[in-house]
Amino acid sequence: MSTVLLFAQLKLRLLAGNLRGDTQRKLGFVFTAAIAAGLAALGFLLMSLLRLAPGVISASLLTLAFASFFFGWMIGPLLAFGLDDTLDPAKLSLFPLRTGRLAVGMFTASVTGVWPLATLVVTCGALVGVASGPGGILLGVPAVLLQFALCVVASRLLTTTLSSALRTRRGRDLLAVSALALVLLAQLPNLLMNRGFSDPTAMLHQMAGLLRWTPPGLAAHAIADGGLTGLAELALLALLVVALGWLWVKALSRALVMPDSSTQAASVRRESGLVDRVLPDGPLAAVVTKELKYIRRDPRFRVGWASAIVVTLILSFSLSDPDRGGGGQWTPIVISCMGALMIALQSGNAFGIDGRSLWMNAVAFGSERDLATDLAGRHLAGVLVAAPLVTALAVATGLLTGHPAMILPATLAGWGVLGIGFGVGSVTSVILPYTVPDRMNAFTGAAPGQGGQAFASALGASAGMALLMAPFVVALLFGLFWVCAVAPFYGLLAEVLGRRLGAKLGFARMPDLLAAVSKPT
Amino acid sequence: MTDAVRTHGLVKRYGSQVAVAGVDLQVPAGSFAGLVGPNGAGKTTTLGMITALLRPDGGHAEVDGLHVWRDPVAVKARIGVLPEGLRLFERLSGRELLLYNGRLRGIPKADVEQRAGELLDVMDLTGAADKLVVDYSTGMRKKIGLAAALLHNPSVLFLDEPFEGVDPVSANTLTEVLQRFTASGSTVIFSSHVMDLVERLCDWVSVMSAGHIVAQGPLAEVRGGRSLNQAFLDLVGGTPHGREAGLSWLGARPEGPR
Repeated sequence: MSTVLLFAQLKLRLLAGNLRGDTQRKLGFVFTAAIAAGLAALGFLLMSLLRLAPGVISASLLTLAFASFFFGWMIGPLLAFGLDDTLDPAKLSLFPLRTGRLAVGMFTASVTGVWPLATLVVTCGALVGVASGPGGILLGVPAVLLQFALCVVASRLLTTTLSSALRTRRGRDLLAVSALALVLLAQLPNLLMNRGFSDPTAMLHQMAGLLRWTPPGLAAHAIADGGLTGLAELALLALLVVALGWLWVKALSRALVMPDSSTQAASVRRESGLVDRVLPDGPLAAVVTKELKYIRRDPRFRVGWASAIVVTLILSFSLSDPDRGGGGQWTPIVISCMGALMIALQSGNAFGIDGRSLWMNAVAFGSERDLATDLAGRHLAGVLVAAPLVTALAVATGLLTGHPAMILPATLAGWGVLGIGFGVGSVTSVILPYTVPDRMNAFTGAAPGQGGQAFASALGASAGMALLMAPFVVALLFGLFWVCAVAPFYGLLAEVLGRRLGAKLGFARMPDLLAAVSKPT
Repeated sequence: MTDAVRTHGLVKRYGSQVAVAGVDLQVPAGSFAGLVGPNGAGKTTTLGMITALLRPDGGHAEVDGLHVWRDPVAVKARIGVLPEGLRLFERLSGRELLLYNGRLRGIPKADVEQRAGELLDVMDLTGAADKLVVDYSTGMRKKIGLAAALLHNPSVLFLDEPFEGVDPVSANTLTEVLQRFTASGSTVIFSSHVMDLVERLCDWVSVMSAGHIVAQGPLAEVRGGRSLNQAFLDLVGGTPHGREAGLSWLGARPEGPR
């Protein structure tokens, strides 16, 4: 019991310590807590509303809900939360803690927090919503607790087993990119639902049937059933939680003595320098070369580009759906512009990924022109990758929607959007810079406490781009497709002016820019 | 003798905390200067302000007589910097890092390649030249950082804790390169709290404490017949006596059979 108290206090202290003296972080925490509380209340309400649904449907829905919590807990910490301080067992390895006590403590630490609390509240909603009769309530309480424990223990088992792999560089790089596959996977039901499956009830039961014998399914069934079968299911579930806990303990004690073996690395190929053959020797060529290497090697870049492409593909899938009014002759233009927009939005925080290494540029840049060259190099590298992609996108959508005549306008419009994006991005990069953390989770947008800046930057970049694109959108709405021919030049103009302005503003506030992208993560 | 670096009343505040409170640093050209002080004395902040990586809240700094914030082009061409920590472009290999750094400063590619090759050779990094910096050890990072700082042949070199966490072999390589560099008339300024090292290498010492320069001058003068370590402790007020009272349990072993 003292262990439980100690670790709960430790976690609360860590939370409080992280908030001290930083208004932005405090606001962020209040925001998170408010969202968690809101979601908890909403979830509880929705779960209790299950009572109004017919018994079979409510049971199926509960199974689905429990299963989604379970998977959410497995994936969530890997994607959104990272390993928070009490969870890295390596930090506790020097204390004389027996593994059993350590496990109890780690469990306590992981259930102390806003999100676990919210999960518990929502899960409790099942008691109100589905439990039938005194037996249901009697079984429901342990079922809810077991489901909650299952979520937490399974999630911790996963992070602990992965954490030794995650501490190595290659492991983190790999996870960052494979997380993308998960996002794609999460879109799959959505896509499937869009294509057919006219009967939602049948589908619901089908999915619930699939999940019936999974651990969360057992918990859900036990609450709905409330009889002897439920009791047996709960016993099974309890065994499972204990088994997972045991595995977790084993994984923990293994993690405590495992060395970090991340420095064994292969060499990179020495490049022949394709860029150098085209560009004149000088800083511009240096920046383009470096930036192209970064796009290929840095997981944050890879994730950024890949998600831009994936989001565009998903959007174009639904936009070109004839059933919903898609597939018109304007579709290729919309889709190629959308793709260009997604790619260009990445340049809205151009220095964020350089982060703490940006000093190397800062000590070399003696004038505005140097910074402008740097921005130009980044844009050139971006265009070298993006222009072929946008073109391919325009050709593909033009052919697939049956409007090959629109390929050329779509390509030109897409290039224009790229230019506008780079121009606006140069300005937001220097006005609202923020650190892009380099950790296992390449989806993390900003360093702790800079979420607001990141949000403002994305919003500012989008607003600026929308504003600059507006004249073309109006012209296109009137069917004046010829304006697309002007788009690339307009984009180029926007890029040049934006780059000049960005360099002017950025050079004057170089130390602030450096500080903003060098925040500890 | 002219001064390579001279600052006048440099001040830097972080919120209500004053990190540097009016520093008048002075380093003659051609010297191997040590900037020493306890943790939190303001060494890193001072170096940051002289190298234009941090904006001072007051005062100004001059390098070779040139105002750092008014004449950045000339100053930045003259200085080489190795900041605290090991912040480098992690996803480039050592060789690519040097090439990028040199070409960013406008040195022709062929020259940079030749210089980078020689520097990698001297730093004993040729074998690791094509590995990513992210996989380098601490000593290798300091060495590649120093190579990057030397690449454009600066006249003043600023190094923040260059020997921290570096093994003896790498440290020896670093000192050899630095001694060769100062022998040619260039200036090295490095911060450290390893007194033995400063005593062995430097001919000029500036001692910082709590945001101020408390002593500054040729090594022999600052030392004043004591060891540098003793002089330092006397200057920054580290009193070794009268602290035993609270630690009576330390080292005590329970009596009786075990």
